[in-house]
Amino acid sequence: MLKPHIGDSVLRHEDARFLTGRGTYVDDITLPNQAFAAVLRSPHAHARINGIDASAALAISGVLLVVTGEDWLKQGFGPIPTKSAVNKKRDGSPLNEPPRHCLAIGKARHVGEAVALVVAESHAAALNALDAIDVDYEALPAVTDARKALEPGALLVWDDIPGNFCLDFELGDKAATEASLKASDHVVELDVVNNRVTAVPIEPRGAIASYDAKTDCYTLYNATQNVHANRDTFAEKVLHVPKEKIHHIAPDVGGGFGVKNGVYPEPALLMYASRKLGRPVKWINTRSESFVSDSHGRNQMSKVRLGINKDGKFQALYTETIGDLGAFCWTVGPFTPTGGSARTQGGPYAFKAMYYCSKAAFTNTMPMDPYRGAGRPEASFQIERIVECAARKLGFDPVELRRKNLIPPTSLPLKTAMGLDVDCGDFPQVFERTLALSDRAGYAKRVEESRRKGWLRGFAIAPYMECTGGGPKEFAGVRFQKDGSVELAVGSQSTGMGHETSMPQILAARLGIDFESIKYRQGDTEATPLGGGHGGSRNLELGGNAVHQAASEVIEKGRKLAAHQFDTDEAKVQFEDGHFFVPGTNQTMTMREAIEASFDPSKLPEGMAPGGLDANTTYERGVISIPNGCHAAEVEVGPETGVVRMVGYWVVDDFGTIINPLLCDGQVMGGTAQGIGQALLEVAHYDPESGQMVTGSLTDYALPRADTMPPMTIEYYEGAPTKKNPLGVKGAGEAGCCGAPPAVVNAVLDALKDYGVTHIDMPLTPEKVWRAIRAAR
Amino acid sequence: MHDFNYLRPKSLADAVAAFKNAGDGRYLAGGQTMIPVMKQRLASPSDVIDLSQVPELKGIAVNGGIVAIGAMTSHAEVAASKDVQAAIPALADLASGIGDPHVRNRGTIGGSIANNDPAADYPAAVVGLNATVVTDRRRIAAADFFTGMFGTALEEGELVTRVEFPTPEAAAYEKFLHPASRFALVGVFVARTKSGVRAAVTGAGPCVFRETVLEQALTRTFAANAVKNIDIDASNLNSDIHGSAEYRAHLVGVLAARAVAKAR
Ligand SMILES: Cc1cc2nc3c(=O)[nH]c(=O)nc-3n(C[C@H](O)[C@H](O)[C@H](O)COP(=O)(O)OP(=O)(O)OC[C@H]3O[C@@H](n4cnc5c(N)ncnc54)[C@H](O)[C@@H]3O)c2cc1C
Repeated sequence: MLKPHIGDSVLRHEDARFLTGRGTYVDDITLPNQAFAAVLRSPHAHARINGIDASAALAISGVLLVVTGEDWLKQGFGPIPTKSAVNKKRDGSPLNEPPRHCLAIGKARHVGEAVALVVAESHAAALNALDAIDVDYEALPAVTDARKALEPGALLVWDDIPGNFCLDFELGDKAATEASLKASDHVVELDVVNNRVTAVPIEPRGAIASYDAKTDCYTLYNATQNVHANRDTFAEKVLHVPKEKIHHIAPDVGGGFGVKNGVYPEPALLMYASRKLGRPVKWINTRSESFVSDSHGRNQMSKVRLGINKDGKFQALYTETIGDLGAFCWTVGPFTPTGGSARTQGGPYAFKAMYYCSKAAFTNTMPMDPYRGAGRPEASFQIERIVECAARKLGFDPVELRRKNLIPPTSLPLKTAMGLDVDCGDFPQVFERTLALSDRAGYAKRVEESRRKGWLRGFAIAPYMECTGGGPKEFAGVRFQKDGSVELAVGSQSTGMGHETSMPQILAARLGIDFESIKYRQGDTEATPLGGGHGGSRNLELGGNAVHQAASEVIEKGRKLAAHQFDTDEAKVQFEDGHFFVPGTNQTMTMREAIEASFDPSKLPEGMAPGGLDANTTYERGVISIPNGCHAAEVEVGPETGVVRMVGYWVVDDFGTIINPLLCDGQVMGGTAQGIGQALLEVAHYDPESGQMVTGSLTDYALPRADTMPPMTIEYYEGAPTKKNPLGVKGAGEAGCCGAPPAVVNAVLDALKDYGVTHIDMPLTPEKVWRAIRAAR
Repeated sequence: MHDFNYLRPKSLADAVAAFKNAGDGRYLAGGQTMIPVMKQRLASPSDVIDLSQVPELKGIAVNGGIVAIGAMTSHAEVAASKDVQAAIPALADLASGIGDPHVRNRGTIGGSIANNDPAADYPAAVVGLNATVVTDRRRIAAADFFTGMFGTALEEGELVTRVEFPTPEAAAYEKFLHPASRFALVGVFVARTKSGVRAAVTGAGPCVFRETVLEQALTRTFAANAVKNIDIDASNLNSDIHGSAEYRAHLVGVLAARAVAKAR
């Protein structure tokens, strides 16, 4: 019996299953008579497809089906539309959106684009078929750099999209920002690049589609983060079937980080193949394919200008960004370099004026979609780099300069120049606590110790302010069973974060029932009528509050039932700590007893059916919340080789109410690991000549490992639970990616300050660091 | 992976015979290179001849200044061997830094040198210590064994049975990790032996090589300072996004100095 409270570090319920190999991922599912699919992918960055001859493939024993782009079009299937919330250019016209069909039509536009699907009796036969398909490619030159793609005369990714231009965007007061820059004592300018990365979840994407001719319905098991929205797109836009005909299930999903949010072509292809063949069809992406067919993220090139006065007070911030979209708009690709990066410009600092503008371009590369943070980490990196640069250039102490410009709590609530509604928080307190944790007093001694070993030591602090996002509604359903068990179904979805623990924890804490009695369901279009899935640090804010709201409804119904039992007025019945009671009497009833009573018709009040405590509720978000916090990093740099070691790391986060500190720590560590990866190691690098992805395997794409990580101290500031939602939570999932890259990069530059090194682009590889040292020497 | 016949000979003679009888045979040692390559369908042998049950390929023996390591000895066994640690600590140290525990428990010295990955660690020790590669049919001097990128002097079906390392007076290996693969972006093995100083470099070029500039400097003075800022010719070195030829050349000097400093 476990009766947790909000704020308890309840151990992860799902871990026993995951750690002993008893999880059920898509690849663990085998349906009777299933066939195997494989995808033929373009080896070219850009090529005309003059013809596809599949006859040799079809002649291989066991090969059942080959589907080409032409076959696909003949079926009348539609393209996958983008759902970017920013979908107009500055002039009000719609963004330029090329059609994204499930298979390449006429041309392939990036390495890895799906060109054909094969289905066979066995996985091996499907692979043999891939080898046997003869595609007549006419290779074309490719453009892989968004800046080049926007230059006049650049070769075109899409013949009918002039200048490779998707859309432009602006936010803030341009005139006021320009005027404020002009009036500032200094204007500091810096080019900032947020490098292209990809998430590399442990479980690659995969799916099994099964069509049932009797009911004319599809069951789709899919490693996705978003069963409802993606089902709707498959049904309504691609296959043109009623959405009720697709039962979309995400079983255990092994990591997503955004790359499993979007709508991918393969599941739609599988549904078609299953219907055509009358049997289930399974497909699992390989790791190599994942690098060129999972969405990428970041890749923004920005020019940042900061207006600052002699006294160190920030005046104005002006950011111009070019965002790479890859070859298509993908699912919400255009949102990231536009609205996604604009909203949190300026971080937790006070500005008189801010202006953000951007352009997004098509290139012959794998398309972009959200990657953990989707624009907010980019913005955080931009502001923290320009602040550090200003401090160095103008001779301010970087800590002091930040301290001087943080928005004070007395200014809250406020609406930033970017229109962000910052309701509560205490940025200075969070900042000072982080500094104190990082033991500044002992720093000089540590620098000396490093120096004695031949290492340069550096420190940086990076306060950040971001915001939540994702679908604005969430469903929670609570169903009590006679046997005492409780089913909790929620439409948000875990891809490893631990919802199976945190969500039942909220329910158990509110109702005072046994945590172990709760069975959690998620990721299933039949478990919840709606669901926003995963993304934008939304689970607690949406799903958590939906559970909270469902619990409140259960309690309301329970009060009715208890009043009936107590033979008293409902208004007199209170609920606390798992008990219904009437103050001043000895009448009391536990929630467990109320649930039992709810199945006994003789105990029910008028109008309540047996099992009548069940609740089905939809929580709707009003305004997005503002997670914020502060990271501080200490690094050591080896001057001989340029190698960087993370040696100290401190975080204080304001995520509002902390439901489960253990799970929260996991989010902060994971986000920080990915942030360190982006800062020091990772880049999805394309060869500019061939358009091939150079880092297309784990022998070249450098991921952070356990030994990359520094010892970390993580604390929470819980003094400002938001009133924007009943739980007071602010979202924790992506914050690590906001704080880590600037903390790490600025700490490395701090270590190199005596050499006069002021800027290195991410990732800070040993060679780049070594070259910077050498150039400065 | 394509279909293949799986054979598990119980003796050296059977293994060699199995290869002779096969249409397109391949020996399988730890499988750490071979299995991934087969999975990617870059190799599809008709016959896979598993060497794990061949007794002649096993064991470590130290005798008369020679450390003989059977081809099927895993990296973990070499790293943990008290005999190797005592005779050539640098060799045990090198083995302990290959890959991860999984790789070290499966991967073998025979497989590693037969494969001759340009970034592999063992080739640096074989060349640096002037070892002799013993096969089912002859003895091959280190200088003749590694012939180019993934190339060796091994003939069709020739089976490495052991590697014989003469014990040096002092030796050490320094490896700069490739940030993604953690093979050697550059690795330098230095050895002071009765017949002179040797310095072998892996990772930096298409194939392991002796760096004469290092050897000359270290012959004059076997000290870190002698090579620390030495000029290494970058013209034949590898260049990729993880390290330009110039950077690799620089690392050769840095690592050589570190190796000399810790050589014992
Ligand atoms: C994740 C990972 C990380 C790694 N990291 C490193 C590293 O840091 N440093 C490093 O040096 N290596 C590294 N390796 C390689 C590993 O150390 C193995 O040594 C290497 O894969 C080959 O050894 P094997 O025993 O696995 O040979 P196999 O893969 O079984 O065989 C390789 C080749 O050698 C042939 N062969 C095998 N044995 C013999 C023999 N006795 N005679 C003739 N031919 C033979 C086979 O036919 C095959 O062609 C890594 C490998 C992996 C998978």
